[in-house]
Amino acid sequence: MSPVRNRYEWMIALRFLVRGRGQTLLIVLGIAVGVAVQFFLSALISGLQTSLIERTVGAAPHLLVLPAERRARTGPGPAGSPPRDTGRLLHDEWTEIHSWSQYVLDLRRDPRVLRAAPVANGQGFIERGGAVVAVTVKGLTAPDGLDTYRIRARTVAGTPELTSDSVLLGRNIARRLTLEVGDKLTLRNDRGGRLFLRVGAIYDLGSAAGNDLVVAALDRVRSFFAMQGVSAVEVQVSDVFAADRVARDYGRQYERVRLQPWQENNRELLAGLRSQSVSSVTIQFFVIVSISLAIASVLGIAAVQKQRQLGILKAIGTTDRSASRIFVIQGLLLGSVGSLLGLALGLLLGYGFVAGTGAAFGLELSVHTLLTPIVLALVAAVVASTLPARRARRLSPIEVIRNG
Amino acid sequence: MAEPILRTRALGKTYFGRVDTPVLFDVSIEVARGGFTALIGPSGSGKSTLLNCLGLLDPPTAGEIEFDGRVIAERNVNALAGFRNEHIGFVFQFHYLLPEFNALENVLLPLWIDGGRPSPEKRREALRIMERIGVAECRGKAVYELSGGQQQRVAIARAMINRPQVIFADEPTGNLDRESGQAVLGLMAELNREIGITLVMVTHDREVALQADHIYELVDGRICRHFDVRREGRAAVAEAIEDRSCSLGR
Repeated sequence: MSPVRNRYEWMIALRFLVRGRGQTLLIVLGIAVGVAVQFFLSALISGLQTSLIERTVGAAPHLLVLPAERRARTGPGPAGSPPRDTGRLLHDEWTEIHSWSQYVLDLRRDPRVLRAAPVANGQGFIERGGAVVAVTVKGLTAPDGLDTYRIRARTVAGTPELTSDSVLLGRNIARRLTLEVGDKLTLRNDRGGRLFLRVGAIYDLGSAAGNDLVVAALDRVRSFFAMQGVSAVEVQVSDVFAADRVARDYGRQYERVRLQPWQENNRELLAGLRSQSVSSVTIQFFVIVSISLAIASVLGIAAVQKQRQLGILKAIGTTDRSASRIFVIQGLLLGSVGSLLGLALGLLLGYGFVAGTGAAFGLELSVHTLLTPIVLALVAAVVASTLPARRARRLSPIEVIRNG
Repeated sequence: MAEPILRTRALGKTYFGRVDTPVLFDVSIEVARGGFTALIGPSGSGKSTLLNCLGLLDPPTAGEIEFDGRVIAERNVNALAGFRNEHIGFVFQFHYLLPEFNALENVLLPLWIDGGRPSPEKRREALRIMERIGVAECRGKAVYELSGGQQQRVAIARAMINRPQVIFADEPTGNLDRESGQAVLGLMAELNREIGITLVMVTHDREVALQADHIYELVDGRICRHFDVRREGRAAVAEAIEDRSCSLGR
């Protein structure tokens, strides 16, 4: 008979707990505190991690498809210059991807890939009223290129469209050059190229680097820098942590380009996150151990205290299995009431913490953070109750009857 | 005598431990259906052990028990627990009520164990039994609020709730004052006569024993004497018990 079906075991378990209410309350509180700490820690830490990851790669490509020789050229000093074709030193085929459309098509077919867009990068100047400001110019496509940086969502003025004469400015540059939507400007490069553009929109990406960016249509930027191909293909994937796997997969197929996942440039961040996770798991593990020990000891005492009752129950027909189930059920009841209470306590603690410290991140309430402590507490409660349950099972009614 | 409800053949019981303790030897008795059988004897004579064996609480180590025509060969404790629940009621010297439950709930416990929440009909029956026994007004009281006599009566009601064939009682009045003891005994004798429940009682009180139909006297774990009170006459039996101490060599 399953424990759910035989209601009398539940009734007796419940009565035993209610009767020993002081003990019951203590152990429920113990479990609740344990679950609260667990839940609070994991919700807070995953909230913090999510916020860190979001800030790092939320509005940035997760994976770059770069020209194969790019790495050699980013080395220090002019020694890194390629030996040939000096007339097109910055923009030769070593620094560009010519068959980018093939890569874009390829990657877009992958279900793990959210978006893949070609970009053209370069350095330029904007002149205005005697001031010359150096800027990073990025040629993007719509909508994928724009969406990688969430430019459309973060536009604060104007319309974020990439027409042939429009330019989208970061807030910092607009402020420095006192430019507003509709104003005209001239973009120049070091080889004398000029581009006449009109400010289409101003955006705020929330970071200094982002707000120093000047964005224009891909093809205009390519011709401005006299590029045959593009600088890179920027990719966003649905699971940011899968970026390195995606990079590995395509790295095997593509010989003329190099794939660089975001993890490659954020090793310290990742190591930090990992050690944080490990320490939180360690703390949770010991919390679970202490919960189990507490339940085992309280139920163990209860099993001794209730020997007389168990003996009587067995004399009037309770089977050994039922007797042991009564204790497992007590464990379950303690575990579930304690963990629900703990969850409430943890939420209170968490929101109190976030509100009190003005933390820039919230609690992460996922199925995982909510259910894990509950499931762990229940499992711990049931496992911890097996010892007293075994004692209850073994008790012979005659021992109680004979010893009075 | 009609077919007995209980019969033992060469029953023996030894407690095995660091030192093996033999308690019962070669006990062969019969318990009349619907009768009142008393087990008497000095302390340590094994009468409680015999009662517990007869009540299928304590398995014998030799011989066999026949319950209602069936030899109890079952050694599975869970099956025996079910059998006790259905066919046997117990009343012990200590009331053995569960303090977690009130009086009525204690009476209903065997029904819970048998099949879950008792039906309203069964609850009414429990109240009828409690009323008959004179503890209906205690139904909602906690066990510790009851007097000793009331506790023992509630225990009797619990023993009766599943309409058992036999009630085993081990010194049911041993812990009560004389007056409540008399009342409890009178009640059990009445139930035995009126409802026909077989009653097997351990007692060291000869007055109590003399109310029985049959008396078995144990000495040192063996049946020493058997009296058929109706046939031999109460006065004669009383005299026999009083005068001659039973010796096994008789």
